[in-house]
Amino acid sequence: MEVTFDRYSLIIDGKRVFIKSGAFHYFRTPGMAKDRFEKMKAGGYNTVDIYFNWNFHSPKEGVYDFSGVRDVRKVLQEAKDAGLFVIARPGPFINGEVNAGGLPFWLLRKEDVIPRNRIGTEYKYSATYMKYIAEWYDHIIPIIRDFDNVILFQIENEYATDTMEEDYMKELYKMARDRGITCPIFHNDAYFAGLWADVVDIYALDLYPYINPNQNWKQDNFCFDTLDNVEEIFRGAKENSPPFIAEMQSGWFDKWDGSGYKHIRDALGDEHINIMTKTALSQGVTLFNHYMAVGGTSWDDLACDEVYTSYEFTAPIDEFGIIQSNFHKAKEINYFLDSFDFTCTEPKAFDFSQTNIYSKMRHDLTNDCDWLFLRNMNPEITDINLPNGKSVKLKPYDMKICPVDLKLKGCEIEFSDVEIFARLQQENEEAIFFIADKNANIYLKDEGIISGDKKDFDNLTFEKEGKITRFVFLTKNLADKSWFLKDRLIFNADYVLPNGAAALEKSGEIAYYDLKHKFAKKYCVVNEFGDYDKPEVIENFDIEFCAPEIDLHYDYSDWQKIGAKTDSLSCGLYDEFVWYKAQIPDTPKEITLSARHLFAVYINGKEVLNRNSYKIEKLQEVPETISIPLDKTILNQDINELTILVQNLGFDKGFSGDTNCPRGLVTFETTPEIPIEFYVKEKLSIERGDLTESDNPYLTKITVKFNVEMKDNVFFAKYLSLENFRFRRATIFLNGVKIGRYIKRTHVQEKFYLINEFLRPENTLEIVIWEKDRNIKSSWGFKSDIKNVIIQIGTQKMYQLMR
Amino acid sequence: MVVVPEFLIRRVYKKGSLKRIENGASLELKNVLGPGFISGFNFVKINDVIYEPKDVKFIMGGEQLLGESVSEASPIAFRLGQEGTLIMTGKDSVVDGLNKIVIEVMNPEAGKVSLSVEDTV
Repeated sequence: MEVTFDRYSLIIDGKRVFIKSGAFHYFRTPGMAKDRFEKMKAGGYNTVDIYFNWNFHSPKEGVYDFSGVRDVRKVLQEAKDAGLFVIARPGPFINGEVNAGGLPFWLLRKEDVIPRNRIGTEYKYSATYMKYIAEWYDHIIPIIRDFDNVILFQIENEYATDTMEEDYMKELYKMARDRGITCPIFHNDAYFAGLWADVVDIYALDLYPYINPNQNWKQDNFCFDTLDNVEEIFRGAKENSPPFIAEMQSGWFDKWDGSGYKHIRDALGDEHINIMTKTALSQGVTLFNHYMAVGGTSWDDLACDEVYTSYEFTAPIDEFGIIQSNFHKAKEINYFLDSFDFTCTEPKAFDFSQTNIYSKMRHDLTNDCDWLFLRNMNPEITDINLPNGKSVKLKPYDMKICPVDLKLKGCEIEFSDVEIFARLQQENEEAIFFIADKNANIYLKDEGIISGDKKDFDNLTFEKEGKITRFVFLTKNLADKSWFLKDRLIFNADYVLPNGAAALEKSGEIAYYDLKHKFAKKYCVVNEFGDYDKPEVIENFDIEFCAPEIDLHYDYSDWQKIGAKTDSLSCGLYDEFVWYKAQIPDTPKEITLSARHLFAVYINGKEVLNRNSYKIEKLQEVPETISIPLDKTILNQDINELTILVQNLGFDKGFSGDTNCPRGLVTFETTPEIPIEFYVKEKLSIERGDLTESDNPYLTKITVKFNVEMKDNVFFAKYLSLENFRFRRATIFLNGVKIGRYIKRTHVQEKFYLINEFLRPENTLEIVIWEKDRNIKSSWGFKSDIKNVIIQIGTQKMYQLMR
Repeated sequence: MVVVPEFLIRRVYKKGSLKRIENGASLELKNVLGPGFISGFNFVKINDVIYEPKDVKFIMGGEQLLGESVSEASPIAFRLGQEGTLIMTGKDSVVDGLNKIVIEVMNPEAGKVSLSVEDTV
């Protein structure tokens, strides 16, 4: 596949192509790439953007794993099978709110490696870092290179330094070329300042007008200022490359101390993605990438410290793989772009101004017409009186693309504010599908005015010189359930697959339209899924105490002895959980420690402190040091056994902080000062596979068995609900795979996706509760208390695929 | 410190705008970075003289804001392309020749943003 470009668009095998891309994290969506890609394709996306996460593939120095859920060749093949192009983004740094920004943990502890060749904002070249990047590229690029649907390749990510030395970026570019990357190479500039434009082939930038969930973007509508002027930025940065928004906001991530995804989804609504995408088109953008198109799950240790398990991102396809309402809005725009070649347009003067109304006219060199973009940022329905005498009534925060002098086969649209949904066409005939709107009209040249106040499937036919144009109207509700395949439309389906199979939640009548047969209908019977609206409350489960490491006289003789540096990187331990054991005499009056992020201190098998030290202020991690007074009731033996368990929530993602900021036990001192010799081991014992039931109740494992009916041609997504869960912290394992972290403090996540890839017909769910309650006097009491825990398993959605 | 390269932040300062005024100084800013908010004026430093938020006024679009009234709860919008004048009073600071200027503000998304430039009077 030959990929070139000019100032308008990408040109693939000699043909201009409008790139409608969406971001997808295969590492956060294990085993579900095919399903998500087919949904993206159904929604009109023609490209998937893929970060390749170095850390996910390289757990140890010299080890690279591309098997099982790490098989990226399979992911790329599934993209190809779904008919999607690929934008490949292998970093080395990717951000994406992943642990250490995607840099392998082993790399972070190498003293002569300077991650990203910078310290703060100061450029600092590290030859050793470059050597390891070459190793990563040697593994990942041969896989990427094997797929001719890869059309763009990104180096680094949102990179800048104070002095902007070009060596690093130039070297990355050369590394990619030397390894056989032939498609255009780009970088995404987070500062929209033309950065690295001269180093890469195509200049690209990121745009996220809404990054503060406390912000009301509707009220502070100037957040679109940059987007509203982005064409100027592109032309100033690189005259002969097409305007490319490498990350265009279609959602936003939530944080541990955030407001929850429901709040963000409600705040963004469908209006935000509509405004973002249409404004980008109005600025001549012909390559966009919705970040994200598909939400994911930060299972295992994927998350950076900032984010919790769900990386739902309020994406058009959510974490569970369910299509959301912003998907339908993206779909409308994608279908419109499939209907009219929009790859070659120029801005056209349009002398118009009205308060809080954005307007932009573009001349379409391919269709020889104009397109008028209108956006209403007023909080009420607004009449826009245009210079051409037409009046447009726009809902608050709505945006429309209005054709002007659009010549069709059987008629000509002089102006329309009834929006076009899709077009089917052949040589002498076409059908244009409009979204009915009672406040809008189609002005036809020589044919009068057609009101947009229509019912589903109302249609009109126009004929001119033996050519036919048929207008078909769909209400918004039907448009959401209408699907545009290459030569036909399918109506009343919840979604469709590229092969035309329809997915239905309930029995119903599917309608079809193509130019040859016109309308056809088929009744589809969906097998009874039963009432799955309410989750099942699990009443039978086993309870075990699962932290033998805390017990007095626990044998840790085979643990790793460490030196003065106790943090996890220095110890070469990268797991979320790290255990520290030591002997301590009865002399200290106090111990003082700092640990990230959650930790507990046990002496002689009894808990003396349990603390959540995770704190962010003004976007910076706030370190915390804590002193624990000791006395003879605690140090009640000559030689006492000290156990510390630290749970780190991930390394910094490296966009603004340091990826190698220490985790685990960061500092430890006694008063008076005496040397303490620590032994360490990572993981919880159930993960290590050496669990024996312990005497202490501090970490308690609940084991739930449940069955799942696996049926062919049925899509389902299941979840675990910890709503009304009485405990403060838990780690969740599904069939031995860590799938979630629960921390009650913030209430941001109480529902956990039971990732399909890890589900079996018979399943074991283990929930390790890390409970603090000092009032627990006996094992029996705690176990009895846990008997009252409420655990629910439910089904988010089910669809039958009608082939 | 959030990674916004210094050379980008410096573009916000309008070169040549530093002026000596009675018992103080003034300078001009233009937002060429992108739309956003200022959620606090930490300080303005000219040479060795530090102006606290109470000594700083920001005049933008004909409206005068006191530095100490700008906070996380009461941020001010600074639109792309918008210009404003910072006025510092209470102490003389500007010298003939080269002056060192540091302006530190807070941004809800980027945290602490520090602008450090030199200008000649």
